[in-house]
Amino acid sequence: MKWILFFGALIGLSICGREKFFGDQVFRINVRNGDESSKLSQLVNSDNLKLNFWKSPSTFSRPVDVLVPSVSLQSVRSFLKSQGLEYSVTIEDLQALLDNEDEEMQHNEGQERSSNNFNYGAYHSLEAIYREMDSIARDFPALVSRVKIGHSFENRPMYVLKFSTAEGRRRPAIWLNAGIHSREWISQATAIWTARKIVSDYGKDPALTSILEKMDIFLLPVANPDGYVYTQTQNRLWRKTRSLNPGSACVGADPNRNWNASFAGEGASDNPCSEIYHGPHANSEVEVKSVVDFIQGHRNFKCFIDLHSYSQLLMYPYGYTIKKAPDADELDEVARRAAKALASLSGTTYQVGPTCTTVYPASGSSVDWAYDNGIKYAFTFELRDTGHYGFLLPANQIIPTAEETWLGLKTIMEHVRDNLY
Amino acid sequence: MPPAASTPPAPRPGAPRPAALLLALALSLAGPGLQAAGPGPGSPGVPGVAGVPPPGLLRQAARAALHFLNFRAGSPSGLRVLAAVLRGRAATMRNPPALCFSVPLVISLGGSSVVGIFHQISSQNHVDARRTCRVDLEFTAERYGPEADGRLGRCSARVVFRRQQPRPAVNVTCARFMETSRRRREDLLLYKRAKRLRAPPGATSMPDSHGWIDPSLRPMWDLAFLGSSYVMWERTTQTLHYYMAQLSSVNQWKTNEDAIDFDYTVLLHEFSTQEIIPCRIHLVWYPGKPLKVKYHCQELHTAQEGSGTEGG
Repeated sequence: MKWILFFGALIGLSICGREKFFGDQVFRINVRNGDESSKLSQLVNSDNLKLNFWKSPSTFSRPVDVLVPSVSLQSVRSFLKSQGLEYSVTIEDLQALLDNEDEEMQHNEGQERSSNNFNYGAYHSLEAIYREMDSIARDFPALVSRVKIGHSFENRPMYVLKFSTAEGRRRPAIWLNAGIHSREWISQATAIWTARKIVSDYGKDPALTSILEKMDIFLLPVANPDGYVYTQTQNRLWRKTRSLNPGSACVGADPNRNWNASFAGEGASDNPCSEIYHGPHANSEVEVKSVVDFIQGHRNFKCFIDLHSYSQLLMYPYGYTIKKAPDADELDEVARRAAKALASLSGTTYQVGPTCTTVYPASGSSVDWAYDNGIKYAFTFELRDTGHYGFLLPANQIIPTAEETWLGLKTIMEHVRDNLY
Repeated sequence: MPPAASTPPAPRPGAPRPAALLLALALSLAGPGLQAAGPGPGSPGVPGVAGVPPPGLLRQAARAALHFLNFRAGSPSGLRVLAAVLRGRAATMRNPPALCFSVPLVISLGGSSVVGIFHQISSQNHVDARRTCRVDLEFTAERYGPEADGRLGRCSARVVFRRQQPRPAVNVTCARFMETSRRRREDLLLYKRAKRLRAPPGATSMPDSHGWIDPSLRPMWDLAFLGSSYVMWERTTQTLHYYMAQLSSVNQWKTNEDAIDFDYTVLLHEFSTQEIIPCRIHLVWYPGKPLKVKYHCQELHTAQEGSGTEGG
């Protein structure tokens, strides 16, 4: 990494007219005394070797770096050997190194960073996400607090960020849920970006500011912390929780089949080894129960949005039945506007519709539970992409995804703000 | 997958179809404010076969068609994926043909009682996987991969799903989105790059956890997808479809002879079960020649393992 700055300086000094450095090497020559220094001067003065000194041999007792073109390697080696000059090869192929660094720089290009250098354009460990949540809350104490709503099966904390301008009053609230399926990494990544976006734009973006004047936002970036850690350490494609199933070697239940909305209905499995195992009973998964208890205790949620990947879909209830939800027409209209807003940024198209027919029947889902519990504005996002990378979405798509999703989220939140019930 | 507790019994041959019963019931209750939205015109009392199939079924058919097309074309530079379904219809193969999906007949009468009855009678799984289903459709496809330039090609296909059996019968035609000569050139270039490629060590995942694919290894990825297309075609049914989630290991990459001999394992992501299926695939590819491929997929907790081979 430090080579990038080094090169930035040296390219300016480099041999004019040459752009590629295939096979060129960098020698670091140890100059220990004046004698060696004068020997090195001979090398310097030899035009035909076409050497390029990165650090000039002006003072001795400092190592000297020399870029040796591939054609001169043999001669230089012989010379150094014959003069007894000590050296090492610090770069074996300059072009290869430059190519690598290029890639890395392109990788990092456009990455936004917070003040303590959390790279929003990369995927992070659970600890890093939790640290950043804490950091956001400490940076904006009047607006944000980090709230522990419970713990996971393996006893990890479940942290939520609460965005509120209310000072104690319990306003109508919006719940943003992310990372319930641990392998859907773009979900957690979008959520933490969204957290930073909210604090950055409050007071600047009139729409967001007016939303927060009337409502609170609760954001749960990692609804399944055990699963997330498992995807980082053991199996990148793990989906479920990590709870133990008595009598079965298989671990975990699908936390998005575990909610009390047509629990154990169609589109879920009673086999603990299945990826859509609904669990022994509704809310058996402590991660789900923590959210249920919090929301029910609060009693004033108006909107529940669950972020998943992949498929590029924006859906509303129901998943557990083909029956049309009473508010389906309104939800459909809002979803279409949100999808349009989302697409306006980069042209990413989302399909809109009720879960059951848009993707497949699914019972016990969070959004259906929310809806059946009086939270009218209940939506599921399936974020990028449509199957090319699937769960393994490249990190360079995190920020574009988060940015476009934000436009969709705002459309929904504005509608909720204007249609409080 | 175990059926839901309230799955209704299947209609017996000869018994009036549930939707027909319901339509009769609804019509008998008809009064002001009755609206019925259902399939298109057909003989009175029986839902017409020109009914609008669920969009999911058409997408399934399109995917099956494209996997089949990709495999048969044998061209890693010419891989296509679904852009959008334009239109289609689906029917059983019987005479007279009937729907191979349940109709979401929506009747609003001011109360919910009629809808409730419908909900009980109809098959909740609205794609009826018990029947053979012939789907005729038109859709657009685009080029697979980062070189996709937004250009769409139009395709039409007939796909027959047989009662959840593998290997849907496919007849598909797509307009070319790339001239044949250009595709051949690109295949040749890919072949040359592949020949110079050294396989990464054993269990290197592609993409890695962060979605990164080394651009120099792209030919390997494209060939892996080509081989997977065969597997995914075979396994696609009315209700199951697949994406290639990851190339999880390269067992052998032989380029010393004319053809590329590639033995690898992919992880397929299965909808709607959400399962990850490891499949070991062995393919032999030479530009312009039909692809030779055999595979074996592991089923982790259900009974069916699956294997197949094509092209000897």
